[in-house]
Amino acid sequence: MNRFKIFRNLVVPVISFSALIGLWELIILWGHVQGYLAPTPLAAWEAISSNWSTLWPLTSWTIKETVWGFGAGAVIGILFGVLMSKLRFLQRSLYPVLVVTQAVPIVAIASPLVLLMGFNLGPKVVIVAWIVFFPVTVNVLDGLNHVDHDLITLARVLGARPWRTFFLIEVPATITPLFSGLKIGATYAVTGAVIGEMAASSGQSLALYQHTQIGQLNSAGVYGTTILMTAIGMSWFLLMITLEHLCTPWLRRSVARRWSRGARTLDNTYVVKGAK
Amino acid sequence: MKRRILSGVLASTFLAASSLVAISTVSGASAQLTTVNFVYDFPGPDMEITPIVAAQQQGYFASQGLKVNIIFPPDTSTSSQMLTTGAANIGFITTSDMAVAVQAKAPLLSVANYSMSNNWGLFAKPGSKLTLANLKGKKLFSWGDTWTNAMLPFVVKKAGLKMSDITVVTASNDMPLLLAGKIDWTTSTSNYGVPGIFGATGKNPVAITGAAAGVPNVPVWVYATTKSYASAHASVVKAFLKAVLEGTKYASAHQSAAAAAFTKAYPKSGYTAAYNKLGWSLTVPLLTNAKGKYFVQTDAQWSLLNQGLVATKQIKTAPTPSTYYSNAYLPAQ
Repeated sequence: MNRFKIFRNLVVPVISFSALIGLWELIILWGHVQGYLAPTPLAAWEAISSNWSTLWPLTSWTIKETVWGFGAGAVIGILFGVLMSKLRFLQRSLYPVLVVTQAVPIVAIASPLVLLMGFNLGPKVVIVAWIVFFPVTVNVLDGLNHVDHDLITLARVLGARPWRTFFLIEVPATITPLFSGLKIGATYAVTGAVIGEMAASSGQSLALYQHTQIGQLNSAGVYGTTILMTAIGMSWFLLMITLEHLCTPWLRRSVARRWSRGARTLDNTYVVKGAK
Repeated sequence: MKRRILSGVLASTFLAASSLVAISTVSGASAQLTTVNFVYDFPGPDMEITPIVAAQQQGYFASQGLKVNIIFPPDTSTSSQMLTTGAANIGFITTSDMAVAVQAKAPLLSVANYSMSNNWGLFAKPGSKLTLANLKGKKLFSWGDTWTNAMLPFVVKKAGLKMSDITVVTASNDMPLLLAGKIDWTTSTSNYGVPGIFGATGKNPVAITGAAAGVPNVPVWVYATTKSYASAHASVVKAFLKAVLEGTKYASAHQSAAAAAFTKAYPKSGYTAAYNKLGWSLTVPLLTNAKGKYFVQTDAQWSLLNQGLVATKQIKTAPTPSTYYSNAYLPAQ
């Protein structure tokens, strides 16, 4: 990456983010906004740092809910996507049901889930997975439905077995849409976890901590908690971008790296991975 | 004939003039009403708002020149902030809300007690064994509000335990969890806890409330406003409390009718008419002090709350009681 690209991709977002923080600080200071209504960014940061020993266990619990829920949602989403693309009757019967699941307000299922599963990790994981699986399913399904049929036909003509066609042609063609779904899911995963925590918690929850801070008129604590929740969502999104970057080298270079030239074609020649 | 036409014209003119006068009087009267935005302490209506509903329906607010809009906050912790931002003029909050607001330097002023004693405590299903001796290891429901957060440490202290000895569960509704056995006991006040469990099971709950639960005997709810609103609109605050006093007296004297009027005013509140009637009948005895007076606040009540909240480390310093309240706006009784 040359210097201009580094500047464009890293420095510009940092500058714009810093400007936003500065603007926030100025609005609070110039507007003489009382501390119990809205804090300065510095006060919010201090509310995090001075209560870190309390907040870290709550944050790690929310991360745990997000990780398990996201993992479950991603796996279920990929499985549904693949199965529905391979079994058309399943797609016809299941797709409307999946759409209905997303039309159900999450807050409406949160309470019944608590009654069924209790107050610990279970309901939160289900809620996060519920949110994550749908965009993954839809994107995987779209990816698989739009694979170049000529390529599949060519592979079959050359004697490829279905599983090899799937792994060499269909999977690489699905990775980009898959990561689109995963990125959407990553953004919403923390929202799902917080909704689950708001529905019912037994002490270990950022949402409950935030609710208590609202009652205490501690706006710095409220904003500090919001910053932590946002940081979890952002981190998860950035992790997905990094994974996508690593999993799609062909988007940046047209020739595979030497060490990764392991996929031979049926006629014993090398092909560029993922090429359609 | 001319005389008949003339008398007809005169009569029409008189009628038209009378109508105009009447219309202008009515519109003038409505224009003279001062709007007061009243924020409740809960996101939805419940029977404790009966005095306000009675004052609206019996015309007590209108006769004081007020038009009162009832606002429901987005959650159980936002009413104080709505007062400080001016989103509401007068509100209904807990005394612990007042304490934390004053601690956060929010300029709130309690202008009248709603209730006079502490009827908060622990509630369990009929037939349950509920004693402080077997509190250890129990799952207790909390609304996550300031009042419950303030009171639970007193219960735990009285039982000789620490907060870590119990599990506090916070959710949007306690009754399904209690009935499903997901929690052992719930926390509530007697006027909510009893009708809630009675309505669900047909039997009275097992309960420990007030001093038996180790909580200080302080009023639970107050009417509050901001210091700036009280000083700038003293007559409005006084008129509001006068109308509310009339509403409270009416609703206390006609309990069934007042509860029915609340049910009719808020048919989608989620509470049954039986719940509202029982809840309101349990609320009425809480509204007067030993001398039979409504609203009157004392230094002693705020000192006691201060001591309790400082002892359980929920506030750092104890302001003087006069920081919290004023009886200057109370109507004559």
